[in-house]
Amino acid sequence: MPIFECRNLTKSYGSAPALSNVNLAVESGRIVGLLGPNGSGKTTMIKLANGLLTPTAGEVLIDGMAPGIETKKIVSYLPERTYIPLWMNAEQLMDFFGDFYADFRRERAEEMIAHLGIDPKQRVKEMSKGTREKVQLILVMSRAAKLYMLDEPIGGVDPATRDYIISTIIGNYDQQASVIISTHLIADVESVLDDVIFINRGEIILQSTVDEVREKNGKSVDALFREVFKC
Amino acid sequence: MLGKLMKYEFRATGQSMLPLLAFVLVAALGVNIMERITQHSDSNAVGFLAGLLMFVFIMAIVVLSVMAVFIMAQRFYRNFLTDEGYLMFTLPASVHSLLWSKIFVSSIWFAAVGAADVLAVLIASFQVSNVSRFISSLTDMFKSLTAQYALNGAAFIAESIVVIFLACAVTCLMFYAAMAVGFSFPRHKWFMSVLFFFIFTIALQICGFGGMFTWVNVGGGPAMSALTMMHTTMGVAMGIEALLGAVFYVLTALMLKKSLNLE
Repeated sequence: MPIFECRNLTKSYGSAPALSNVNLAVESGRIVGLLGPNGSGKTTMIKLANGLLTPTAGEVLIDGMAPGIETKKIVSYLPERTYIPLWMNAEQLMDFFGDFYADFRRERAEEMIAHLGIDPKQRVKEMSKGTREKVQLILVMSRAAKLYMLDEPIGGVDPATRDYIISTIIGNYDQQASVIISTHLIADVESVLDDVIFINRGEIILQSTVDEVREKNGKSVDALFREVFKC
Repeated sequence: MLGKLMKYEFRATGQSMLPLLAFVLVAALGVNIMERITQHSDSNAVGFLAGLLMFVFIMAIVVLSVMAVFIMAQRFYRNFLTDEGYLMFTLPASVHSLLWSKIFVSSIWFAAVGAADVLAVLIASFQVSNVSRFISSLTDMFKSLTAQYALNGAAFIAESIVVIFLACAVTCLMFYAAMAVGFSFPRHKWFMSVLFFFIFTIALQICGFGGMFTWVNVGGGPAMSALTMMHTTMGVAMGIEALLGAVFYVLTALMLKKSLNLE
């Protein structure tokens, strides 16, 4: 059974379609790049999978279940913005995640926080943007989830932080789990991807393994992306 | 899950509410001390200071009540309708648990504000005899109610507490419903929230006046004894509050479930 599946999934905002009749399946143990330009429907798809939006038509399934309490127990989601409460500090955030997620591995989170030299008593509102991004990534990746959905995890941070984020993702996910990374910064993530999904204007235009893309097209995913989405 | 949500709700709101509650009680103590000093002093400066402290005390009581309502509304907005919503709505908790945690905690803070206000007035009372008089007058009132209406006095007080608690919950839910509906619109979210708040308020006024008119002219009447009238009125008030609460609750839960519009 696929860990993530969309069946004829459609989402419209008023009369404007954000996703049109999307069909796709992601198997366990894969690192998938959900790639597309801004406004292509990546975030909408991830929000639908996390129950933050309701489909206009079709369905989205996580491990065979519609988004709900049970799927939220197995999905670790990183939104594209700072979503952790500003009044909390890293220690309180670890308490929070530990209270609500049975799969949260506190020791791992503490280890990473210490490794980065982040003061666990410092409030989020006193942290820099980069530090906030690191803290919330640490929290999300410290869960032993079945599916990680990371929406633009490397957008808006410096190259050194990008490297740290990517190494954190790769170093912390369970080999049986799947990771879906939504981004338009292909070059930074290409080396870690198993599969890619190209999405544009709410439609899937390519789903393939990275190896197939290279074999068939004789070019990197980044080069193909630039060609397909050329303005 | 509800207990955990309430724990964090108390932590978040307690940061603002506890210092305010403490400030009101300290101000009350200050008023008491200043009144004692004033009794033994003819100084204008002392009198001015006592007056100023009294003003601060009254303002603190007003601000505490306003802040309780403000924090109740602000927590709902910030926790559910801004970026924090991404965290809250992806927790393995139902919308109902999320909503009840807010309602319970806000209602408890409202009750705490009421209790702190009464306590502050007792502390501020200059002479201990004033406090004793206040407490004994409450006891006398309770005794006379019981003497006149047997156990109905206690029942009336219990009914009043339930009505006040329900009214607090309905006030929260009216704010929540207005914001949940307003923020489901793609634009002018705050304007729509305020608009819906006024629509709900006007609808409540119309229902209230209509209900009262019907009750006086049709439902109640000279056939009822004062005692029956009292209990029936309280029962009707509880029923109306519960019904209004249910309507606002269903509307809020439905909007958060089906039309959540985090950007």
